[in-house]
Amino acid sequence: MTAPLVIGSVAYSPNVVPIWEGMRDYFAETSTPIDFVLFSHYGRQVDALISGSIDLAWNTNLAWVRTAGQTDGACRALASRDTDLVFTTVFVARSGSGFTSLESLRGRRLVLGSRDSAQAAILPVHFLQEAGLGESDVTLTRIDSDVGKHGDTGRSELDALRAVLEDRADAAAIGINTWQAIGRGELLPGAFESFWTSPEYSHCTFTAMPSVAVERTDPWVANLLAMDWENPQHRPILEMEGLQAWVPPKLDGYASLVAAVKEQGITDRW
Amino acid sequence: MVSISVPAQPRSAESMAFSVVLDLIEGIGRVPTGRTVEVRLGEGDRDAALDIVSAWCASSGNEIVSIEGLTVTVLHGRSPDSLAGLDPGQLPGSRVWVYTNFDCNLACDYCCVRSSPKAERRAIGVDRLKQIAGEAAAAGVGELILTGGEPFLLNDIDVLVNSCTEKLPTTLLTNGMLFRGARLERLRRMDRSRVILQISVDSATPAVHDSHRGSGSWAKAIAGIRIAHEEGFRVKVAATLPADQMHELEPFHDFLDTIGIAREDQVIRALAHRGVADSGIELTVDSLIPEVTITADGVYWHPVAADHDDQFVTRDIFPLADAIAEITRRFVAHRRAADSIAEWFPCA
Repeated sequence: MTAPLVIGSVAYSPNVVPIWEGMRDYFAETSTPIDFVLFSHYGRQVDALISGSIDLAWNTNLAWVRTAGQTDGACRALASRDTDLVFTTVFVARSGSGFTSLESLRGRRLVLGSRDSAQAAILPVHFLQEAGLGESDVTLTRIDSDVGKHGDTGRSELDALRAVLEDRADAAAIGINTWQAIGRGELLPGAFESFWTSPEYSHCTFTAMPSVAVERTDPWVANLLAMDWENPQHRPILEMEGLQAWVPPKLDGYASLVAAVKEQGITDRW
Repeated sequence: MVSISVPAQPRSAESMAFSVVLDLIEGIGRVPTGRTVEVRLGEGDRDAALDIVSAWCASSGNEIVSIEGLTVTVLHGRSPDSLAGLDPGQLPGSRVWVYTNFDCNLACDYCCVRSSPKAERRAIGVDRLKQIAGEAAAAGVGELILTGGEPFLLNDIDVLVNSCTEKLPTTLLTNGMLFRGARLERLRRMDRSRVILQISVDSATPAVHDSHRGSGSWAKAIAGIRIAHEEGFRVKVAATLPADQMHELEPFHDFLDTIGIAREDQVIRALAHRGVADSGIELTVDSLIPEVTITADGVYWHPVAADHDDQFVTRDIFPLADAIAEITRRFVAHRRAADSIAEWFPCA
């Protein structure tokens, strides 16, 4: 009997259990069975991956970058969601507030999500710096909800939006997933509008250490990519995890985050 | 860069309405699919907030389960389709029953609507029936089913039936005992290609049938089946049996075979504890798949309870599509409530 690949995931939502039980059931019918271990935060998960306690980790982009940093790039990215390859950060403000670009944030108040959220904290600061806005140019408020989960819960971004609604900030930086969750400004036309969207970058990816043989991971990836949105057994899992198709990772999509981590002095470990 | 803490400003009504959606998104994220969360609307902006919550649910694939005052309960994900498991013929509105009169020449001891010679006539009338037939056809109803009391007591039963068959295939329930003279002529004026006669016979021999429906009624019913066949009508037989006799039906089926009733036209059902029946299975709104039923008094959930307030739906027969939609809405609500209870008990 083939030993299951043990996959780590962070429990960012109650749906994580049905997602991974569904994944386990799916892979049980393939040549590459799996089991899963849930962690409360990404630091513990990456430690477990590097120590060999788990074979694969379902990592955020920051967890991937930190794993790569700790392994001198020896770890391997195996697969991502289709939605992970086109992730963006969206800067939003109250409708009609007159923001037109990042430059218009000069002298204004910007609220950020959790400090370990790539989309709502680390990359927004990077994009500001690219636009020529330094520490003294924008007043930043950080909302550190659910630190450790890299912004997965979305809670800090919702808190950031509340801060804008309550006039505690002029604008917020949030992930495209949260922007979509509130209807992209169409659902709440009098509430929010976006005024700048970042270039696309990569988000989550399955990560393996080099100690896990390609002979084990390649067939597993092939089975993963075979999950089908049109298959009624697969679809509920894909819907809950927020994708329509598993795809090969896009490594150059992590370049902006690698640069941001370096600029901001974010360490490889927690 | 600095981290600062700014005290909250008093919220505007508009901001509070938007905040409800943020609360809802956060709450939904904290429960697994299939569970519910509650959000509270502000008193001053209740309607605006409810509009936003409704729009968010519609666009995000979540579902409002209930609205009570300022509290909105939202399901993470969507409820399973309560109608999906039904046979197409069981969908509410796939067929519509109409009680034509209620009075009857028999006084069966199990009649679910208390029909008898003493029952007051409550006639639907040709004008209403024409409108029902027209609106039913427009609403996608596939069949009309007419029942009495005994419909052949009506002097215009042929006109009534023809007003239905002009629009839809129609089944006419009768005891089959009155096919003579003017009433036979009325039968002959019906469209054989569009009418099925459903005649009540409860047993293969007279004793049981007559004990419930009156002495001599079995022989007249069997004669009525023969006449209907001779006149070129398709005949179904419907039998009503005590639940404890439902396990040995083959001799009865064999008998019905001998009088020319096709097996698919042999309808045998358990006695319902309704009307004048002093025993039988209990049939409630919760336990019955509805069949839209119209009487002179309004719309009922099911023909078995068309004389009982607990299954009264609305006095408004028209627009018929609205009545069908209301019964469908109530059925879905009952199913979801039942599902919620089923989910709840294993957890208790």
